[in-house]
Amino acid sequence: MDIFTTEIIKDSLVALGDEMFNAMIRTSMSPIIYETTDFAVGATDAKGNLLAQGNGVTAFLATLDTAVQSLLEHYPNEGDIKPGDVIITNSPYLGGGTHLSDVVIILPVFYKDKLVAFTVNKAHWTEVGGTEPGSVSTRATEIYQEGLHFKFLKLYNEGQINDALVGIIEANVRLPESTIGDMHAGVAAARVGAKRILELIEKYDGPSVLYAMDELLDYGERMTEAELLKLPQGVYEADSIVEDDGLGNGPFTIKVKVTIKDGKMIADYTGTDGQVAGPINCSYTGLVTGARCLFKAVTDTEIPANGGCFRALEIICPMGTIISAQSPAPVSLYYEPLISAIDVMWKALAPVMADRLPAGHQRSVGATFLSGNHPDTGDLFVMGEPLVGGWGASEDKDGDNGQFCCANGETFNIPTELFESRYGVQVEQYAFHNEDGGAGEYRGGKGVVLDYKITSDEAYLTYAASQTISRPWAMQGGQEGSNNYALILRKDGKVERHHMCTTVTVEKDEVVRLYTGTGGGYGDPEKRPKEKLLEDIKNGYVTKEQAQKFYNVDWL
Amino acid sequence: MRAASDVGGTFTDLVYYDYDNETGKSGPVNIAKADTTPPNFEQGVMNAIHKAGLKPEDMMFFAHGSTVIINALTERKGVKTALITTKGFRDVLEIARGNRPDLFNFNFRKPKPFVDRYLRLELDERVTYKGDMQRPVDMSPLAEQLEYLKTEGVAAIAISFLHAYVNPENELAVVAEIKKFWPEVSVLASSEISREWREYERTNTTVLSAYVHPIAKKYIESLEKKLADEGFKDHPYMMQSNGGIATVASAKDNPITMVESGPASGIFASAYLGAMIGEKNLVVLDIGGTTAKCALIEDGDVKVTTEYYIEKDAKSPGYPIQTPVSEIVEIGNGGGSIAWTDKGGKLHVGPQSAGAMPGPAAYGRGGTKPTTTDSNLILGRIDKDCFVGGEVEPDMEAVEKAFAPIMADLDISLKEAARGVVRIANANMTNALRLVSTNKGYDPRDFALIAFGGGGAMHAVALAEELKIPKVIVPVNSSVFSAWGMLLTDLRRDYLQTHPLLVVIENSQIFTQIFQYLKDKARVDYKYDEIEGTQEIQFEYQADLRYVGQEHTVKIPLPFNNNGKIEIGTTIANFHDAYEKRFTYRLDSGVQLVNFHLTAKIKVPKPEIVKKQIRGLALSDTILHKRHVDFDQYGVHQATVYDGLKLEPNMTFQGPAIIQEPSATLIIPPAHMAEIDDYGNYIIHLNFVEKGV
Repeated sequence: MDIFTTEIIKDSLVALGDEMFNAMIRTSMSPIIYETTDFAVGATDAKGNLLAQGNGVTAFLATLDTAVQSLLEHYPNEGDIKPGDVIITNSPYLGGGTHLSDVVIILPVFYKDKLVAFTVNKAHWTEVGGTEPGSVSTRATEIYQEGLHFKFLKLYNEGQINDALVGIIEANVRLPESTIGDMHAGVAAARVGAKRILELIEKYDGPSVLYAMDELLDYGERMTEAELLKLPQGVYEADSIVEDDGLGNGPFTIKVKVTIKDGKMIADYTGTDGQVAGPINCSYTGLVTGARCLFKAVTDTEIPANGGCFRALEIICPMGTIISAQSPAPVSLYYEPLISAIDVMWKALAPVMADRLPAGHQRSVGATFLSGNHPDTGDLFVMGEPLVGGWGASEDKDGDNGQFCCANGETFNIPTELFESRYGVQVEQYAFHNEDGGAGEYRGGKGVVLDYKITSDEAYLTYAASQTISRPWAMQGGQEGSNNYALILRKDGKVERHHMCTTVTVEKDEVVRLYTGTGGGYGDPEKRPKEKLLEDIKNGYVTKEQAQKFYNVDWL
Repeated sequence: MRAASDVGGTFTDLVYYDYDNETGKSGPVNIAKADTTPPNFEQGVMNAIHKAGLKPEDMMFFAHGSTVIINALTERKGVKTALITTKGFRDVLEIARGNRPDLFNFNFRKPKPFVDRYLRLELDERVTYKGDMQRPVDMSPLAEQLEYLKTEGVAAIAISFLHAYVNPENELAVVAEIKKFWPEVSVLASSEISREWREYERTNTTVLSAYVHPIAKKYIESLEKKLADEGFKDHPYMMQSNGGIATVASAKDNPITMVESGPASGIFASAYLGAMIGEKNLVVLDIGGTTAKCALIEDGDVKVTTEYYIEKDAKSPGYPIQTPVSEIVEIGNGGGSIAWTDKGGKLHVGPQSAGAMPGPAAYGRGGTKPTTTDSNLILGRIDKDCFVGGEVEPDMEAVEKAFAPIMADLDISLKEAARGVVRIANANMTNALRLVSTNKGYDPRDFALIAFGGGGAMHAVALAEELKIPKVIVPVNSSVFSAWGMLLTDLRRDYLQTHPLLVVIENSQIFTQIFQYLKDKARVDYKYDEIEGTQEIQFEYQADLRYVGQEHTVKIPLPFNNNGKIEIGTTIANFHDAYEKRFTYRLDSGVQLVNFHLTAKIKVPKPEIVKKQIRGLALSDTILHKRHVDFDQYGVHQATVYDGLKLEPNMTFQGPAIIQEPSATLIIPPAHMAEIDDYGNYIIHLNFVEKGV
């Protein structure tokens, strides 16, 4: 077969990721999927090697292929999975796992009774039951409080939907219509991918497509290797903390030793603290995602992710840590330690890869939930959103102001005009703040301050962040960034500070004020040229006081 | 004489025809081309007029489309612009939506806003989401703010307040104040630019429109002057992105409406041609030198959207422009796209382009990179003796040199490399065509593919094969199709208004009122344009609808009954159908209207499209020569090459064949049937059976 046919099949396989991504957006009924794009879609070969993935966020990078690999362990014999089967799983502790809200749908693709591939997606369902509405808790102590748990169940048996399973889901979630809608969207997106794979086989024949799949993986490996060889060889270490588990315990240490040698990278997280009582645990799949994200950030960020890209990455971590939690650890807030797992590797490597990695960023999703009754209609609303914050400065650039954290990606903030109409809450400001932090020859990007004024009789705030005490790390003598936290400005003038809270009552005319961290600075602030600092002051990115205090200027 | 000109990146096209006002008879359409002359684009227009031997004094109509707006934006050649927002929200322009499409690039930076923070000022005011006035504007800081902006050398000011789409009172008050204190400055309020919600998108649109406002004004005025100096008695009309034309007065007020005027006219021309020849479902493909643009026309309807971006790609969120633009997908793949191999040994085509200078290697102007055009030459698809209309002798030595690195990297021959480049380019374009068709729930087999632009004819049939589209239409003179389209458009204004309302009988009165309000506005605007009285305004009623609690909307036409009320039942039923087609499911929920969309058109006379004359030539008389052409997977064949200018209606022939015009080459692989229609357009009927595709 000629090389270009292989190329075109490869491109078509990669395009599958985009097509399924669009299909998911198109078919989903949940704003968290089609607006926040909290999902990933992709395809693997028959052995579970990732061929292509369409991502809305980075946090699902290792969830599709590991799900298929675990599936193959669950159904080891030929004939265990049949044409027309669809498998569902959300088990955090197995392949594909994050928290229970993120559900994986897997569709085996058969060509003439031969298993040739899998199409997979994982998406954040609006509701999977459990103690808290929305199935995310900051105070769970066991996974049983966090919702329904599916371990590689057959949602379809040879084309027949499993009514018993659907019935259990319907009866155990708060918004069954939406949840079942999410489920169907997952199946529909997987079918779009399967159809395209079969079309390819029909057009080019089976052996050509299977050959192209192998070639695609090898290509990913070659591209990654080329970059890996450019990286400085050596051993690099760092540690970091997650402040609070939601139950008042903490802080907890996350540690890594990264070895780059002979075209390989080993990320060894040995020494990380054990799993914790509250829901801020992350499973091993989450850790693999985290390590892969950073690995990809320093090797080749451009080529579409496939299994071959990660062949040169080895991850070591004993089981039972806060980033390799075991049953029945609660995992609702898994993304915070996952981000820390990315961040700690980032922190270890940034000093030697300043061309590829900036200083530390806000490092938290800053997930904020407000619920209450709409002042116009009295209808219950539940608002959930991640927050933008400041990214770190690089060796030649200031950090980016107001961007979602590294675990997000194609994530969009909610426009104030829609927000106010939807929830009746009045937004009083959405702006960069002037908290100290991030000074440097290159400045850390600015975090934001966001004010929500409650207009109904009362509303309830749930908030969970990390880096609430520790600060985004700096590089080369720059200043650390600032913290993530929430304030409630009470009517009586009192101000409450929160780092982790669940359904705290906020009354009418009180204000929820959210701060997100400013990123870390790069280089000695005194080296920042005068004209740039003058510009900063003019733009209000740096106050005169900060210029005097942190940049040590005497000309003001 | 009626004429239109389209200023492109390389050439300024002119099309014109004689029109007798009394009899309404029109003559044949002629074309002329001149070089584009940045930064004084109007000079190129005049050059084309002179080249064609036209006298502006004889012209009774002149429509004009130009890249001057998009160029000023992408080259950052606008004026120093300031922004005034609601207190607490000046950073919205910089925060944007916070997204990072380049997911794994931790060194990502958002695109820089068009207004620096020190020029983003705030005023205390507040309107609620319901449009209620919470606080009128506190004007006390304004005088000082304007002094500050003057000293900073600001030439344009954008005003954008929260919820001004529903209640613009506060914005307009500030505009009035500014005009009083500082009449020379360009000042634009967001509510005059867009009446849709989403403050970042609306603010950015207003900022961009203000940024180009003085430039557009100067450009249009100098074009008007040049035309007037040579005797043109009327005002020119400006092509807009919504597929219609606007008066110069209206274009100067909101220049951002001209941002995508070129592609829009090609798409609308396709719809026009489609209606003429009975093809209402069209996939539209416009291949130029650096990009390919795709669109879809369903049942004669060109989709116009306000979700348009510039500089958006897989790595950048770009900049949103909330103005009506015909829905297109654009990719960096054209005739000049450069082929290259990456470090993993993979061949890519584009998005970098050799552009007009140096152009493809074959131009012999110093181009050292292999391009799609070079590949088509190697494969014999482009006639070496008729390259660039016979004006250039291709430098095949330079071509071979340009391909050497690819041949070495992949260890393949020149021909194999050329085949590879064409195939990859076709695969890229196929993916773009899928985005407008299959990915939106359309089956390409229900469509015909219409292809134009310099490279459209070259690739059309191969792309139709990939997508299983049964018919390809290549219009005669396909390389100036966009300019031709400007002669076929009407005056058009689009009014969108966000006003969330349940679609229920009880609200039908409000629906009528809001449309009435928009219609009154249209009448006032046309009156201000000095277009009034004699011409009748034609209204089209559409709305963006969604399920309650959902975000996705679909745009559907609204049916009116005899009492002038909207048929609520039919509207809901139509919505369910359209929604299911677009998003695959339907819900039992209530239906909510989000945006009202009124289109107000005034018809202008159009050229009578003349049937091509039959002189009775035999098919053999139209044959230029035969040559060996590489049809890729179908092998190398002796292809018959026809002279497109000589072909006559009703002639039919089978591939392997080529139809050549001076600036377009249509490739017809073996077994497909070509037919010439009454107007001289080339229609290819694909034969999928025999080819086993």
